[in-house]
Amino acid sequence: MTVLGIGISYGVATLVAMFSGMPIAFALGAVAVVFMAIYMPSASLDTVTQNVYEEMASITLLSIPLFILKGAAIGKSKAGQDLYTALHAWLHKIPGGLGIANVFACALFAAMAGSSPATCSAIGSAGIPEMRKRGYSGGFAAGIIAAGGTLGILLPPSITMILFAVAAEQSLGRLFLAGIGPGLLLVALFATYAVIRYRQEYAAAKVAYEATGQTSAILKRDEYTMSERFSVLPRVLPFVTLLTGVMIALYGGYATPSETAGLGGLLALVLIALIYSVWRPSDLAPILTSTIRESTMLMLIIGMSLLYSYVMSYLTISQSAANAIVAMQLPRWELLAAILGMTVVLGFFLPPVSIILMTAPIILPPLRAAGFDIIWFGVVMTIVMEMGLIHPPVGLNIFVIRNVAPDIPLSEVIWGTLPFVLLMMFAVVLLCVVPSISTFLPDLVMGQEIRR
Amino acid sequence: MMHGSVDDRPQPFDAAASNSLLAGVGRVLSAVNRVIVILAAVALILACMVLTYSVITRSIFHSATYWQDEAAVFLIVGATFMTAAAVQSTRGHIGIEAFVGILSPLANRIRLVLVDIASFAFCAFFSWKSWTLAHEAWVDGTVSNSTWSPPLSIPYVLMASGMTLLCVQIMLQIVMSLGKARRP
Repeated sequence: MTVLGIGISYGVATLVAMFSGMPIAFALGAVAVVFMAIYMPSASLDTVTQNVYEEMASITLLSIPLFILKGAAIGKSKAGQDLYTALHAWLHKIPGGLGIANVFACALFAAMAGSSPATCSAIGSAGIPEMRKRGYSGGFAAGIIAAGGTLGILLPPSITMILFAVAAEQSLGRLFLAGIGPGLLLVALFATYAVIRYRQEYAAAKVAYEATGQTSAILKRDEYTMSERFSVLPRVLPFVTLLTGVMIALYGGYATPSETAGLGGLLALVLIALIYSVWRPSDLAPILTSTIRESTMLMLIIGMSLLYSYVMSYLTISQSAANAIVAMQLPRWELLAAILGMTVVLGFFLPPVSIILMTAPIILPPLRAAGFDIIWFGVVMTIVMEMGLIHPPVGLNIFVIRNVAPDIPLSEVIWGTLPFVLLMMFAVVLLCVVPSISTFLPDLVMGQEIRR
Repeated sequence: MMHGSVDDRPQPFDAAASNSLLAGVGRVLSAVNRVIVILAAVALILACMVLTYSVITRSIFHSATYWQDEAAVFLIVGATFMTAAAVQSTRGHIGIEAFVGILSPLANRIRLVLVDIASFAFCAFFSWKSWTLAHEAWVDGTVSNSTWSPPLSIPYVLMASGMTLLCVQIMLQIVMSLGKARRP
């Protein structure tokens, strides 16, 4: 059979296995093993487990469970609520300040926890009821939190970026830094939108009040005294210290990214023990069980995705596909648009981790040939995959919001998140026009990269 | 479209639908899984400590680190594979369930059994090859290619035992759903 034939049957077999509802990890592994048995020398079947082990046994990949542990420790404590209260106390004077406080709280929390759904549920459980109490519409409140949560996979430490760094053989430290600029850009866009939307809702409520005398919660103002403002700070400072401390350890050259994961995980556990007295085994059990559930599920998918792409490259499917794309001589931006479009479609079905590991060997060579900066592309691809978290049909964050605030109708949540999806598209376009938004910081901190 | 099971508890055993032997196996397995989850949690925290220790010794005492990364790898690999069965017991390995809504309940039950059998076949193959790998590494005394050079049979045995346990778990789930189908 030709490579094309094998490639097509590999793809079809994968689709069938996936859509049968078989767990993604086992489906990928089974397809890989079957194709090994048919098309590869029989000795290769004997080393399949060794392959999986050797691909997985990298400390960079295995830092993922530790980052998940850190996220779960912070996510299940009251840190999210405290962070949110503090930001609200400081920002309430600005019109739409509550919305801005939520965006900022999401960004800060995402940077500490590194997980999108964890951010949504931690900030959302405090933020959504508060915003609605102050008269924000349900869709608007849900949109802010859903979109704010996606910052979790863009701001370091991000699991998606760890995988991209491994798959593309790029420096993880550089990739983390490259995500900060675009992350701040998105924070600014989200906050600006929050102010504009607040003004609209405020104006509408005011008109209604003047016309009918019916007052609305959004028209009320609340005050915090200076002492109140300062009293909320001590609870937030330790976590901000954790965040900056870990960053300093990483970029000051004291720790490798994976050591940062261990350090961060341990510090997070110590902090929640000291501040929220979460230290008894019964308190820690939910944190640790949810960590294991998530990390084992994810690591098995990662291990099997690696086996899957190993088979794909042994059978030269990925190389042939990559060569075919290069030979098409697409104009640069059309190539990028096509690849990002494919990412969006794959994002309907697959979690970001599998998308990266399965497509990297195919899409990276053409992108390199077209002269794109791979680090920059990693950031753009991450934002595109983030959009998948807040738009249907998968929209993981939408489901999290539904759990936190079950009384907001699904259609309202989806309409509320739509403007944020558009803002993220705008950010992607902006990044294409001005790539230095992303590359400025890594170049500044780590020096210009030597282009290969 | 993508769902992990929302429920954190293992699926309850239907005492009427399954015989006492099956129920016994189920109870033993869930007890084993509980112990393993605790050990795995400890392993993850230990891995954090090992990596933290490595940062401290290097930056304060300027001593070279040579075993820390690998020890952490072994701990995390072990924790991952050994808990695969516990995660499977709550159906925590996510799949694409796009067609669940379209199929009738009966078709869905059949689909689930077929999917489980396919998963079992893959995991059984993987366990078998892991055991042969572990056996070879044990007999040949293969060590990892580093200055610390610990025996590779340690992570291999963890991988093999974890996958075997996962097979037992999936087999139990298959037998239980078949048992339920026979007595509707």
